Amino acid sequence: MAEITAGGVRFHVQRLAARDRTRRLGPPVVFIHGLCLDNLSSFYYTLANPAAHAGADVILYDQRGHGLSERPRTGYRISDSVADLAAILDALGVDGPVCLVGHSYGGAIALSYAVAYPERVASMLLIEAHVPVPGWAEPMAAAIGKVGLDLTEGDLGRWMAEHARLAAIGKDLVNHTTLMTDLLAAEPLSARELQMLTCPVHAVYGEHSDVLGHAHLLDSLLPRYILTVLPDLDHFVLLRAPRALRPIVLEWVTAWTAVGVP
Amino acid sequence: MTVDQIMGEVRGMLTEIIGTEYALSLDIGMDTSFDADLELESIEFVRFATTLKGRYGDRVDFVGFLADKELEEIIGLTVGDVVTYVAGCLTFAGAVDG
Repeated sequence: MAEITAGGVRFHVQRLAARDRTRRLGPPVVFIHGLCLDNLSSFYYTLANPAAHAGADVILYDQRGHGLSERPRTGYRISDSVADLAAILDALGVDGPVCLVGHSYGGAIALSYAVAYPERVASMLLIEAHVPVPGWAEPMAAAIGKVGLDLTEGDLGRWMAEHARLAAIGKDLVNHTTLMTDLLAAEPLSARELQMLTCPVHAVYGEHSDVLGHAHLLDSLLPRYILTVLPDLDHFVLLRAPRALRPIVLEWVTAWTAVGVP
Repeated sequence: MTVDQIMGEVRGMLTEIIGTEYALSLDIGMDTSFDADLELESIEFVRFATTLKGRYGDRVDFVGFLADKELEEIIGLTVGDVVTYVAGCLTFAGAVDG
């Protein structure tokens, strides 16, 4: 299945069936990509197939406005993204708990989803996750806002010149949708809500990540938390070093699909 | 189907994916590379894989073809690599007459 309509929005969804049928299936693994210039392909070619090979049913989707999904003008608050994920899983007939993999802003969605629907999340793997606590959105909005400018220099300008069609999607999101105002208006999670999360969370950050502070914040709040810091890497761990992430993902998937191995 | 017919269909799919504006400036052929020539984005390659599955069905396991390749290998593929793979699958399925 490549397209579903959920909550009135058309979403691009990819499913990969578990390859290792000797295991009894655990919860499906749902991958949630990052904001603005990201889409499901970051996972599709890096971690999704290994997860399916390790025995997980895998679900990937492009968030509204991203990749091959529809780009409505509104609905970019984090609560909208949480509602989108719930509607997509409902439309796919997934009513049991899932394991969530969240990248960057996708990590913020995963955490918010788990707070909203604790019974629907078995476990989380967070890669360079943003944690939506008070004051979190402003620096992120400042960075994302640059995508809307006609940059030609710097790392971002050069990247956008080389990826014109993706850059056009990012520009449209920033300049012609409510993404920026919605990002800044999002309700943050409270320390209390994060402390109430009882599912296990494994977080991975790069040693030089600009959001490494979020790793330590989670450590101080989450009751069941494991942190892996990868040396010599920055926020772009998934882009630069998918091979370093793969064994972590495989171990995590194996632990969560090993339920009831005969 | 002959290899030329498959090439024609694949050319049409890629033109739709990258847009006529980009495609018209290229002569998409067997030697065209997805990365250097078409500058195909990863997400566009996902769409291409989905389009192939929609056209040729389970006779062509394109996801399986890609599954064991690293991203650099995938974007290094040429259009001819994919056309040849599709033709091989269709031959195996007894559907090729050329």
